[in-house]
Amino acid sequence: MDSSSILVIDDELHIRQFLRAAFEFEGFAVQEASDAEEGIRSATLKPPDLIILDLGLPDRDGSSVIQRLRSWSNIPIIVLTVRSREREKVRLLELGADDYVVKPFGIGELIARVRAALRPRAVTPLGDPVVRVGRLEINLATRAGTFDGKRLVLGPKEYLVLQILAQHAGRVVTRQQIMKQVWGGSHLDDTHYLRIVVRNLRKKIEVDPTRPRILLTELGVGYRLGT
Amino acid sequence: MRHDPDQDGRTSLRQRLRNSLWPVLKSLVLVGVTTIGLLILDQFFALRHVTLVYLVPVVIAATKLGIVPAVIAAIAGGGASAFFFYPPIYSFLVQDPQHLIELPLFVFVAIVTGHLATNLKRQADLARRRETEVQDLYAFSRQLAAAHTANDIYTAIRQHLTSMIGRRTILFETAPRGGVGATLSNEERVPERVKRETEAVIGRRKDSRSDSVVDDGEGHLWLVRPVAGKAEDFGVLAIDLGQQAGAKADAIRQRVDTVLDDATTTLEHLDLGQAISEARVRSETEALRDALIGSVSHQLRTPLVSILGAATVISRAPGNSSDPRLASLADILRDEVDRLNSDVQDLLDAALISSKGVRLESEWVEPADIVNTAIDRRQRLLAGHRVALDIPSELPFIYVDPILLEQALGQIVDNAAKYSQPGSAIQVAVRSDSTSVILSVKDEGFGLVGEESTRLWERFFRGERHASNVSGSGLGLWIAKAFVTANGGEIEAFSEGAGRGTIVSIRLPASEAPKPDLMVGDDG
Repeated sequence: MDSSSILVIDDELHIRQFLRAAFEFEGFAVQEASDAEEGIRSATLKPPDLIILDLGLPDRDGSSVIQRLRSWSNIPIIVLTVRSREREKVRLLELGADDYVVKPFGIGELIARVRAALRPRAVTPLGDPVVRVGRLEINLATRAGTFDGKRLVLGPKEYLVLQILAQHAGRVVTRQQIMKQVWGGSHLDDTHYLRIVVRNLRKKIEVDPTRPRILLTELGVGYRLGT
Repeated sequence: MRHDPDQDGRTSLRQRLRNSLWPVLKSLVLVGVTTIGLLILDQFFALRHVTLVYLVPVVIAATKLGIVPAVIAAIAGGGASAFFFYPPIYSFLVQDPQHLIELPLFVFVAIVTGHLATNLKRQADLARRRETEVQDLYAFSRQLAAAHTANDIYTAIRQHLTSMIGRRTILFETAPRGGVGATLSNEERVPERVKRETEAVIGRRKDSRSDSVVDDGEGHLWLVRPVAGKAEDFGVLAIDLGQQAGAKADAIRQRVDTVLDDATTTLEHLDLGQAISEARVRSETEALRDALIGSVSHQLRTPLVSILGAATVISRAPGNSSDPRLASLADILRDEVDRLNSDVQDLLDAALISSKGVRLESEWVEPADIVNTAIDRRQRLLAGHRVALDIPSELPFIYVDPILLEQALGQIVDNAAKYSQPGSAIQVAVRSDSTSVILSVKDEGFGLVGEESTRLWERFFRGERHASNVSGSGLGLWIAKAFVTANGGEIEAFSEGAGRGTIVSIRLPASEAPKPDLMVGDDG
């Protein structure tokens, strides 16, 4: 059971109702807001541990809500979006959203995203530096990884990519975010290198590299480590 | 640029004089050249019957320059023979009685030959022009047959008239609710005065002859007239006459009349008026249908989010999850919502494709990612089938829109699952050769029979065998084809017949991916 609090910002009453029921079953405390203004006010007065933001709000554009929230807080934000808007998803993630779920969704998927987003983002001296996804283990402190108990031999770029994904385990990371950290700002559009590194990584950390279960692709957006 | 009628008159007189004198001069030059050639030859051989040689310039003049220069060449040739070659030389007198007969005979033969040659030339020209006209007409009727909207038809008429009249032509269609709309290519614009005149001409259309000439204010004269003077409404034409005035413009006007009379007959013969109004109705109906589909589907999708969400919450709720009957009811709810959602999504996609076309956001993509995403997103649908993936590890990257391609492949996988027995196998394979990457989906399902294999890709087509027992919108494969084609690919289906399964394959162009020079020395 989890005691974190979640703020749901959605104009559809029925969606808020089933989300409240679902999160309360999981032990979360739930706050609701039916438009952007109310949501921002609510987040300011009583900051939640996570915000679920529907992009189809009547009073404000989703990206401006994210910008407003990010101007003073880094509470994880999960956006509810509709399909076939990959460019918009990327933009929202760049603006600071942590993840997205495509409507209509099963609640299991959303809860998995929420749990991944609530995990601590940085390695703290007190926290566990080891990230485990299936048979893969990455120790962020010693910068070493094992697969099936065997030590992984990774190139420097391969390790960096894997490390970024492990730090965000279960959460989507856009290609641009990875490119910026691994290759620096000048090669943001050359995502081809990233694709090759990913292909090489999959040969080392997947049982079947052509049917990945650990290093997953989010088409048009980026990558996600496990779920 | 200003027009001075006097100067124009003088120019055209001088020009006309030049136009008729020039060929005569040329024919005389031909005779002169022949004479010089003969004189040189005469130095070495004693030439007899030189007159015959003068047939050469006559025939050339007849075919290239016309009958008058040919006759002049014949007379000049006769004269030159008498003067240079028949004794007494350097005099037009002729002593030999034989030569006396020969010369008039030559002139006679030359004129007849010239006349024949001119006729032949004219007929050849005529035949060639007819051929071009027939080709134009053929292209025109082909364009009409392919025309889908009134706009397509107007574009075809305009191109046809432009090529027949040989001048820049703008066709204004008379809009259903009055006013005019021009059928233009992008770089063209209509001068304001011409547009005003066009509207005026439409107002006067009931008159028998309502054409007029208008100056566009930039030195060009335009002829504005209805395409057809009769009841049929084909619109109004504006023809750029250029900077001509007076007689020349009248000539063009006459030619336009002739061409348009022909063209109108053709247009009436093709029942174009009917076609135009049908196309108008059709495009308005389609626009309406797409708008309706768009708004209805949006309205349908909003409650689906709550239904699916609530259903999955119920199935996970503490008291319920232990009861298998409730869990299976929740599964039913979930499956039906998924199905409804995918039908609604198809309607939205189809409406979007027909109203806005397919917009690509291409990038380099790992082909395996597309297959895996398509399969993973359909786990529930495919749960009853044995799914096998066959993906080689070293595939070339492809430059496509990954989202659209995943949807196209997904539609095919959906169909494989829907039109086959539970428990049967579905194999998704990727292959590559030097020019392409091929994604294929093979099922052991109901196969394709009769018109199914040919009409499979049509919008709203559903096979009669399945219409009653398998749900679907009839849009899936149409969407798949639109997406694949937009990505430069080809899609085809093959089946050995009823109950023998189907293979659908998507062939995508493989091109050279950029070389990753950034990698060098990093990861080896």
